[in-house]
Amino acid sequence: MRRPLIGMTAYAQQVTYGSNNLMAGMLPMTYVRAVHAVGGRAVLITPDDPGTDVLESLDGIVFSGGGDVDPAYWGAERHPATEVDKERDEAEIMLMRAALAADLPLLGVCRGMQVMAVVGGGTLHQHLPDLIGHDRHRAAAGTDPLAADASAYGRHDVITEPGSFAHSLIGGHTVVNSFHHQAVDNPGSFTPTGWCPDDHVIEILEDPSYTYAVGVQWHPERTADLRFFAALVEAAATRSGLKPEAFAA
Amino acid sequence: MRPIIGITTYVEPATWGVWRDLPTTLIPHDYVAAVSQAGGRPVLIPEHEDTDVLGILDGLVLAGGPDLSPELYGAEPEPLTVTRPDRDRAEILLVRRALEQEVPVLGVCRGMQLLVAAAGGRLHQHLPDVLGHDRHRPAPGVYGEHEASFVPGSRIAGLMGDDLAIRCFHHQGVADAGKLTVTGRTEDGLAEAVEDPDRRFVLGVQWHPEVIRDERLFGALVTAAR
Repeated sequence: MRRPLIGMTAYAQQVTYGSNNLMAGMLPMTYVRAVHAVGGRAVLITPDDPGTDVLESLDGIVFSGGGDVDPAYWGAERHPATEVDKERDEAEIMLMRAALAADLPLLGVCRGMQVMAVVGGGTLHQHLPDLIGHDRHRAAAGTDPLAADASAYGRHDVITEPGSFAHSLIGGHTVVNSFHHQAVDNPGSFTPTGWCPDDHVIEILEDPSYTYAVGVQWHPERTADLRFFAALVEAAATRSGLKPEAFAA
Repeated sequence: MRPIIGITTYVEPATWGVWRDLPTTLIPHDYVAAVSQAGGRPVLIPEHEDTDVLGILDGLVLAGGPDLSPELYGAEPEPLTVTRPDRDRAEILLVRRALEQEVPVLGVCRGMQLLVAAAGGRLHQHLPDVLGHDRHRPAPGVYGEHEASFVPGSRIAGLMGDDLAIRCFHHQGVADAGKLTVTGRTEDGLAEAVEDPDRRFVLGVQWHPEVIRDERLFGALVTAAR
């Protein structure tokens, strides 16, 4: 039996690799490996193509991390630290609306969770240090924010709401990595079910009226804890009549 | 619904924004744009042993990239051969299954060489050793410009029409096309296009049609994929 097919929104980004510097459709391999490790099959959806017809072929979708969402979507002025990715905004907001309408299982990671809030009619904080007075959601003190390893992220606690899906999946408390300078303010139609206890920044969104619509503010794909990815793939498999356990690594 | 065209991808350490040398699955955007402009819906296919993904694909682009592992055609690696064995393992499985399932395939550069390996052919591992010139890869970032000649009546001859200009960037080339038919060559005799006339749409080109978003070739793939 085939693996559940999980679309992942990709960057269209100017990148350097080897002796090349060019515009590429791309995604860090950590995302791809996370989906593959829990029995899914990843394909990447680039943002330059505005259609949503590709969703008909998918069993689930991940909205990946990346740049900031344009505050014009919730009627705010742009903060000096806000760096928008217009092409991804347009493509991902359109894709997410269609995915929710089709009840396609979806997981939002970092920017992906923020897109959920915006699609749900909510708003974002554009620069967390202005709000909470520290930058610990972006990098731990004394670490090099440019280093490309997991320790580059700030680490903090997350507590979850009893009775929520997140609580049933990971229990009442976990420690997460963190690399973001914006955060969800008003979650719109989604329900916040996880927070950083130190500053009350929203860390998890969900909406139990969908098969699987969950967002996390941190980067589980860069850790060994892939429970949110596994739950996505399982939900995708169940909805499509597949058996993910046959493929789990 | 538009035909879904899968594009194989590179895995390379990439640098952008605050990130340095992060392992990344990527494809030059030209491929994506070429498929979109030709009326297909591109999706990128990261390397994986899974080939069931072909179930949703109406067509497949085998993209360019590093050299093929010579073991795919029964040879030992030569000094200038640079390979990505994980990508090779995934793509040879994918191309074999795609051919079995009659999924239309367009192979570009390395992708054409992969079609040749899958057809039992073999490659020259460094063309300057064979041809005595480097006009197929003149310098880093510089395409070699050639005028190709195509076999009358072949698919590629029909698609290219009167404009025979091609832009190459490769240091390996086809020594033996195996079961495929060579339907295009440069002035030095090197194979530049291969086809499998027994299949619905199997076309490999040694040059880079995605750079000019060549609708003649990508459009033909999308049409075959409908």
